[in-house]
Amino acid sequence: MKSIGAVFYRDYRQRMTNIGFVFWDLFAPLAYLTLFGIGFERMIGSSFAIDGQALGYTAFLLPGVLAMVTFTVAMNTSWGFFMDKDSGIFYELLTYPITRTQFLIGKISFNVLLSLIGSLLVIALGVVAMNVRIRWDLLPLTAAVVIGSTAGWFFLFSAFAIRLKRMDAFNTVTSAAYILLMFFSSMFYPLTDLPVWFRAVAYLNPMTWQVDLLRFSLLGAGTPGTVMLEGAALGVFAVVCLAFAVRVLNRAT
Amino acid sequence: MAHAIEVTDLRKVYPSKAGDDVKALDGVSFEVPQGRIYGLLGPNGAGKSTVVKILSTITSATSGRATVLGFDVARQPLDVRRRLTVVLQQTAAETLLTVRDNLLIYAYLHGVERTAAQRRLAAVAEEFEIGERLRDTVQELSLGTKRRIQVAKIFMLDSPVIILDEATTGMDPLMKRRVMDRLRAEARNGRTILLTTQVLSEAEELCETIMILDRGRAMASGTLQELRKRSAHVFRVSLSFAAIDGDLHSRLQALNPVELTIDGRSADMVIHGDEASLLAKLADISRESPILQFEVRGPTLEEIFMTLMRDAR
Repeated sequence: MKSIGAVFYRDYRQRMTNIGFVFWDLFAPLAYLTLFGIGFERMIGSSFAIDGQALGYTAFLLPGVLAMVTFTVAMNTSWGFFMDKDSGIFYELLTYPITRTQFLIGKISFNVLLSLIGSLLVIALGVVAMNVRIRWDLLPLTAAVVIGSTAGWFFLFSAFAIRLKRMDAFNTVTSAAYILLMFFSSMFYPLTDLPVWFRAVAYLNPMTWQVDLLRFSLLGAGTPGTVMLEGAALGVFAVVCLAFAVRVLNRAT
Repeated sequence: MAHAIEVTDLRKVYPSKAGDDVKALDGVSFEVPQGRIYGLLGPNGAGKSTVVKILSTITSATSGRATVLGFDVARQPLDVRRRLTVVLQQTAAETLLTVRDNLLIYAYLHGVERTAAQRRLAAVAEEFEIGERLRDTVQELSLGTKRRIQVAKIFMLDSPVIILDEATTGMDPLMKRRVMDRLRAEARNGRTILLTTQVLSEAEELCETIMILDRGRAMASGTLQELRKRSAHVFRVSLSFAAIDGDLHSRLQALNPVELTIDGRSADMVIHGDEASLLAKLADISRESPILQFEVRGPTLEEIFMTLMRDAR
């Protein structure tokens, strides 16, 4: 725990050197929710159904924006590996008396906190300004999904950040991932009326699992059986990504 | 005496896509007793940094074994890292953080408690004359000061083994001297130090035992005295003449020196050969051009190094 705490402190100090970046991580999702929520709700109408439950578009989008928060924080945190490589500290860090797993968990811990704060801000905006009714009783489940998915995405992107030598290559990978993972998921639209091939791809996408879980925990939408299965899949995804990132870190040289 | 570091038949091959694999290390073995300063010397590409990377568990060996205080670097990497302080060749510092944060975070990441780290910080800041820079970010510092911060980090800890990969590169002479004095004191207090360097005078002054590496292989090793004995056939000869003309210059060249420097009426040479024939040849020269003064000495580490490199290539 002491080692993880030390890495947490390091990341906290690093992130605080660029408040603008932190501000963007926290407030960009609020802009998404406000602009997309208001715009599409006016265009589409006030409601459509998810498993028989009528939802406004803003409410429908809210879990997706939370997923965006976790995804963006994870991506920006993993990008920090390039700064570590540039400053030469990356290889020195590998000589410190901490395991690779402790290092990765410590590195994401502070950023999980940012993810939780960002998610709370989005929920607050949805509830206070857009009249979204959420399931307060399931808030711990929402927090668990935010924590698990931020970590999972971070471990996945870390593996790329550690392995790739060029920052532009990493930016290409993450930009492509950003587009494909978000649009091939249930983030912006329900999957029920989409073509079979699209749904098949979307159900293999961890972003769909995350958004469905959040939609269930925040709004009570979705069937518990499916959501439980997606929750288990998301857990496995995070653990597999951690193992992958540790392996890549072990072979970093 | 127990060995703090033991390296046995260490080999490292970097595979190449073209098929011509690079042998970075080819059967290197050495031992460093506790409380000693051991130097690895060699030109670029000799394999020094690869040894450092394997010992500090950054990379694994292709074969062979290395232990630090009895812990195997391949099987017990965390136990090894708990006993090590490493300064790598490239400058490593958190550029956006302050000097103070750099030193404190380094200590925290090595398990030093907050109050102990603060206490150490005050002492290190004074010793390395960085007290006034503690609030500056590292990106504001000169390369030399960055290097100073990096080396200062090792004194934030009490780890029993220190590994320095060309640590004093880029440091000003006064600070270099201070670091060398401090390293000697640390060794006297029982810390074991392995250093790599290309600065031969530094190794000569600091290291009790030296290994000379070239292209991944050990060329020679031992104390400086032992290396001198091995190079008993290498001499530094200083001669003074009334004058040095072209003819004398040719005769000096005919001795086939490893190195020949002529400065006015003085000639300075490194010669490879046996002592009796050297003296006979000098006597022949003196008959034609009287030698006013001469001095024959054993080789410096640099001369041993240059001779070994010349013989190897």
